[in-house]
Amino acid sequence: MPIEISPSPENPHRFQRRGFSCERAIKYFFASNAGLTLVILLLIIVFLLKEGLGFFPGYRRELEIYRIAGLEFVDISRKNLTAHEQLSSVLNRAYFAQINGQCARELKRSQEAAAVFNAFSDQTSATRELIANHEATGMDRGSEMLATLNNNHACQKQKALDSLPLTPHLSDTERAELIESIRARDVTTVGDPPLVTALAQQYASAQQQCAMPIAEWRSVIDSFEAAGADLSALVTEMTDAVTTTKEAIQNNDILENDRKSLLAAAANAKDPSERQKLMAEARDSLAEKPDIEGPMQSLMLRKPDCIATHAALRQACEGILAMLPPSLSQSDANRLLLAARKASPLFLEALTGTSQQITQWRHDKPVPLSDSIRSFLTGKDWVTGGAWQDFYGILPLLAGSLMISMVALCLAIPAGVGAAIYINQFASPVEQAVVKPVIEFIAAIPSVVLGFIGILIFGTILRDLSQLDGLAWVPGFPIEERLNIFTAGCLLALMSIPTIFSLAEDALNNVPAAFSEASDALGASRIQTTFRVIIPAAFSGILAAVLLGLGRVIGETMVVLLVAGNRIKIPDFSAGLGTFFQPSHTLTGIIAQELGEVPLGSVHYRALFVVGILLFAVVLGINATAHKFVNRTTN
Amino acid sequence: MVTDLTETTSNSETTAIEIRDLSFAYHEKPALHEITLDIPARQITAFIGPSGCGKSTLLRCFNRINDRIPGAHLTAGTIHIHGIEINRPDIDLQELRRRVGMVFQKYNPFKKSIYENVVFSLRLAGIHQRSALDDSAEMALQSAALWDEVKDRLHSSALGLSGGQQQRLCIARAIANQPDILLMDEPCAALDPTATLKIEELLHQLKEQYTIVIVTHNMAQATRCADLTAFLYLGKLIEIGPTLEIFSTPKDPKTLSYISGSFG
Repeated sequence: MPIEISPSPENPHRFQRRGFSCERAIKYFFASNAGLTLVILLLIIVFLLKEGLGFFPGYRRELEIYRIAGLEFVDISRKNLTAHEQLSSVLNRAYFAQINGQCARELKRSQEAAAVFNAFSDQTSATRELIANHEATGMDRGSEMLATLNNNHACQKQKALDSLPLTPHLSDTERAELIESIRARDVTTVGDPPLVTALAQQYASAQQQCAMPIAEWRSVIDSFEAAGADLSALVTEMTDAVTTTKEAIQNNDILENDRKSLLAAAANAKDPSERQKLMAEARDSLAEKPDIEGPMQSLMLRKPDCIATHAALRQACEGILAMLPPSLSQSDANRLLLAARKASPLFLEALTGTSQQITQWRHDKPVPLSDSIRSFLTGKDWVTGGAWQDFYGILPLLAGSLMISMVALCLAIPAGVGAAIYINQFASPVEQAVVKPVIEFIAAIPSVVLGFIGILIFGTILRDLSQLDGLAWVPGFPIEERLNIFTAGCLLALMSIPTIFSLAEDALNNVPAAFSEASDALGASRIQTTFRVIIPAAFSGILAAVLLGLGRVIGETMVVLLVAGNRIKIPDFSAGLGTFFQPSHTLTGIIAQELGEVPLGSVHYRALFVVGILLFAVVLGINATAHKFVNRTTN
Repeated sequence: MVTDLTETTSNSETTAIEIRDLSFAYHEKPALHEITLDIPARQITAFIGPSGCGKSTLLRCFNRINDRIPGAHLTAGTIHIHGIEINRPDIDLQELRRRVGMVFQKYNPFKKSIYENVVFSLRLAGIHQRSALDDSAEMALQSAALWDEVKDRLHSSALGLSGGQQQRLCIARAIANQPDILLMDEPCAALDPTATLKIEELLHQLKEQYTIVIVTHNMAQATRCADLTAFLYLGKLIEIGPTLEIFSTPKDPKTLSYISGSFG
């Protein structure tokens, strides 16, 4: 029950508050600081939503144009054409893998000899050309200039000869012979050293020899490639037609928008004459409705043509694919062949289904808003800035982000939590004093600098290592791309280890000493106390540490942009562990890379904001979960 | 400060712990001075004295739990438990602590179920047969007079029990492994009077089987429970004797002034 307050007397009681005290001012100052952070967070959310939510209607209109202009129709055929091209590329790769695998020795010998000679030429050719030029211009043979150049050339030659690359596949005599022939060269010698030429010839003849027994197969591949020609011609022809329609519709959209803003300006204008002028301008800019129906009619006339071409392609391919050899002797080639065998029934099935798809396709089927949301969330393509059609599908980016985080966590959890357990439970005070600051220092390294380390160590050196013959048994080796998911994962692991370590160590530290004392008093050894009492008690804290580490990993931008390889494609999971050595792009990376280049307010610009919203939601979720676990520990 | 009890020592049948000239220090700061004392088997011995007099330090020497504290070390003297010097370098600390159980001032059950708390020491020893664990758990909980209260919820969290129950659970945990000696460091300091009374009743039952050494601040508790009482002051043993004698006819004036409440 509130106490009734009597009107304030002239001289208040000394218990009553008077005026505005300094203490209250200080309190309000701090309250406003705390309030500011809330306001900023609110602003971030509001602006993200404001910019992002406009994406879906815009994208819907793009998808609508995609349909009414007929691009979608052409893409039905184009999809099959791409599948056909991919399949023939796989077959070709298998073919060459087989040949190169069989004459790997010749290939390596030839490459090594050429590498030695190239290393030599790279260092000496500049001076050599200078000398040649001088002689061509008829300079005095005894001139001082020429003497200096000749001297330089000799020095460079010696230096180059001292630092030639290794040649593990050449015998010592061959290497000596090669070096001798290089040493014997003077300024005027042209052509390759005899050994280089000989080895190249050996390689070429070995290639021919290996190709002989599989010549039949070559013709199978060639006929498969040729079978796609009709479809290719058809797609090209239709592409031109629909692109014109699309441009017309887009231009009309732009004019229409202009007209609307003119009308809006006219409605707001105060001066009647001004208004008249704006209205007239708007009337003038009334564009003619572009002709959609005409081109569409002619496109629809191609339907039977399309169906016939597909049926023909299917028939041809079915026969050809049945002639593939059952297996190949080289493991790489065999893997590719198996991939092709696995893909071919799917390809044929897709071809079969196409005719129905083509018959059922209608250009006037409406595109609801939910289509644009679905296309964003489940789209497998993120294609932007292309002449054909932009797609904003989140899956390739999400897959990249998740796989990189997975690699990072797989490495960082054992390292971070393990280090925390060791430092907290087993380390001597000296070790503690050294290791803790060092690990925490890693967090202070700017991520761009870490990126350099990543490119150099995890990228270049790892790739070079993976190409050693002795390491070929490691799954995923040899690595083709220097910058890939694994590289980025390693670096992110390095970045998240300090977070995980510090928080996990805190969690272990917060376990009351009474627990370990009780455990000791019951006769537990150090290891038993650690694993049976301390870690279970700190478990939720450790989990929270891992989650906060994950939040750091998902949100990290600079490192992934530098070292993830930035290829926007869902990784090819058929490669097994090799999947982790493919380049990829991420949610954060795409925003950083593209936001500076897109036109303000365009659909692409808004798409990046939606990616930002998604990222924001994911990190918020992770942090909220982590917070829950932290609370559970402290209670 | 050797008391007149010295002549009754060196009988290992009836003496559980023999302490001779024990001095102890934390870093450079001495905590115990030349303590000589025998603790009889299957009796309750109470250590009393003002805060900081070293009674807990002395108790914690018996299972060498003081080793956990950096800088804590024995400076002189010996402790024999069942005839063996426990500060020898080749002592198996884990085995020693299995033989000498301990209950702490603040009840500290693990964040596990009641059952898992009790069988913790057995699991440490590598016993995994369900039946053996079940039997030991029931035995220990009955000895700790807790069985009837928890038998229906053995697998719920130990932290859901009341303070007194948690402390009795800690006693059950300490005796599940059937130690010879039970050390209790102010076991009732964090409990209310009812719970304290229950623990004291329990002590009377337990002394049939175990040698109990208890540190207490509460002189009434010492008179109620202990057979022998030792008074420590400033790291020295002032006086030890049968509890009734100590409280009725103390020999040392310091003891008299402490038990009459003039300091402490």
